[in-house]
Amino acid sequence: MTAVEPRAAAGTREQLVRALTGLGSLQARDGGAVTVRIPAGALEQAAHAAAGTSGVRLADMFAADGDVTVLRLVWAYETDKPGYIITESEIEGEEYPPLSDIAPAAFVEECEIYEQFGIRPAGGKPLNRLMLPPHAGTELPTLGHEPSRPPEEVHAPYTVGGQAFEFPFGPVRQVGVESLYYGLVTSGEEVVDLYLFTWHKHRGVEWRLRGKTVSEAIFLAERAEGLSAVAVGWAFAAAAEAALGIAPAPAALRTRAVALELERLYNHAAATAALCQATGLSVGQAAAEIALERLLRVNAASFGHRYLFGVVEPGGVSRAPDADALRRELPGAYDELRRTTDALLGTNSFVDRLEACGILTAEQARRLGLVGPVARATGLATDARLAAAAGPYADHPVNVITAAGGDVFARFQVMLGETAESVRLIRQFLDEGTGADRTLVPPRASTGLGWAESSRGEVLAWVALDSGGRITRARLRPGSARNWRGFDDACRSQNVFTDIPIIEASFWLTVAGMAR
Amino acid sequence: MPLWFARGLRRGVVTTRYPARPDGSAVALPTPPAFRPLLLTREIVDRMIAQCPGTALSRAADTLVFDAGSCTACGRCARVAPHAVTPSGEFELAATTRSALIKMVPILGERR
Repeated sequence: MTAVEPRAAAGTREQLVRALTGLGSLQARDGGAVTVRIPAGALEQAAHAAAGTSGVRLADMFAADGDVTVLRLVWAYETDKPGYIITESEIEGEEYPPLSDIAPAAFVEECEIYEQFGIRPAGGKPLNRLMLPPHAGTELPTLGHEPSRPPEEVHAPYTVGGQAFEFPFGPVRQVGVESLYYGLVTSGEEVVDLYLFTWHKHRGVEWRLRGKTVSEAIFLAERAEGLSAVAVGWAFAAAAEAALGIAPAPAALRTRAVALELERLYNHAAATAALCQATGLSVGQAAAEIALERLLRVNAASFGHRYLFGVVEPGGVSRAPDADALRRELPGAYDELRRTTDALLGTNSFVDRLEACGILTAEQARRLGLVGPVARATGLATDARLAAAAGPYADHPVNVITAAGGDVFARFQVMLGETAESVRLIRQFLDEGTGADRTLVPPRASTGLGWAESSRGEVLAWVALDSGGRITRARLRPGSARNWRGFDDACRSQNVFTDIPIIEASFWLTVAGMAR
Repeated sequence: MPLWFARGLRRGVVTTRYPARPDGSAVALPTPPAFRPLLLTREIVDRMIAQCPGTALSRAADTLVFDAGSCTACGRCARVAPHAVTPSGEFELAATTRSALIKMVPILGERR
């Protein structure tokens, strides 16, 4: 079976929903998300229909355990009226159709679902260990049935094989960098292949969310990827709100949007500092870190937390920004960043290291379902803020910044464009008015999908609640969980060892987001 | 590259002793709680323990055990009993031993 290529002509989302409903039945329609139940026997046909539609991307795939295991695929529709379509299928037995043969983006989730629920794609393809460490015991249980046999282990043999050998690097790296193991296959200098072990800091967040109310759970949800606390918190809160049928006040949504754009600003400043470090430009790194520190202080002055934790709550927000502090402090901090990035763009020794480094094509980004600046730097205008059926970004549309090169320089340009756009949006949200309103969260048995656009790309969250309002299953999918699958392709594209830190800085992902 | 060297000199930022001066931005930071023993009861303490997501609070008979090393300064305990809990304003928590971060707070509200 080969991957399905989208047809040239894009249909409407409703046409795709009708096609899928023809294979099963419409379950729910809620804001920007539609849920369709598909019998397992028609799942392969449904995946073909969705993957073959232009402008549709497989955004996530996950399972939930009950009497039978239910497999859910989340498809992002990105042309007219952007939004999401969820298909849910009950899987009897231990196998389901090999979906990554149809949509290659599904492979990472196939591995994760096998680890957590013991069901696997038919065909017997090897599935890698992804989340659970080999030594995981009762402190890190699986979400469902354990697999009948352990996932495949990809081990570095540490031996020379022909012209290439494997060079192990990590999981302990330099101070302050997250645990991550690289298996680098090299012929001496050029990166021939690269694979990652991302399970060293798995914390079982989704398992820990079970049994909690959504108000209790948001504390853990925003820590799934702390550098995207607002984005993950917003997606989780939006999922809960969709499930409970409540809508936060417009002023509270603008408060969330201000916090989200501040989060994007400080992350892009941190990525700039990391790019300087990776290219050996220590003064540039110091200058970018001064801007970063000023932006973190703006966060503290306006929201009472440097990393904006605790702002988003289900039903609204816990506090409104100090608008005066924000208007007073943000321009200076942003100017500090702009002065540094303008100087960097005029430094050939910096720009030369970024150009033609870590190239990804739009085709690779589409097939792997990449998101955020990594996808936008290949020319794909994917942005979860466009999928807001209502809310602050519907009233204040975002100008999606794209570039064409697909290399590190293109990703840097996208980040610079987005910092300017974030400052513009924050001004508009403040002018329209922010507030600290919070709608009451009633208990109700239901499910819901939420999303937000972090600095790393689209974040998705899905929750199922029981009649007491407690979580029976929560799925969190930060942008990092999506984009790591494009990292090895970027590193393989004619790069050498010393390019890898530069490529990693330009992706600016977290291991926590993957190993949640 | 010489321009970056000059830029580094012009900025004039050097490493200083810590703290060179009081950090004005610290007033906006969340800080761990300070407890008022006379206003604490076992019932209030148990409700605070139930709300603490970091498991920083526990109770041993008539003593509240507060582990500042597990506290994330989220403020949930203060929401339970705003009259008995206030932000400590203390954010420099470095200690040479783990046990120095664990504080015993007597629960004296029952005796009044």
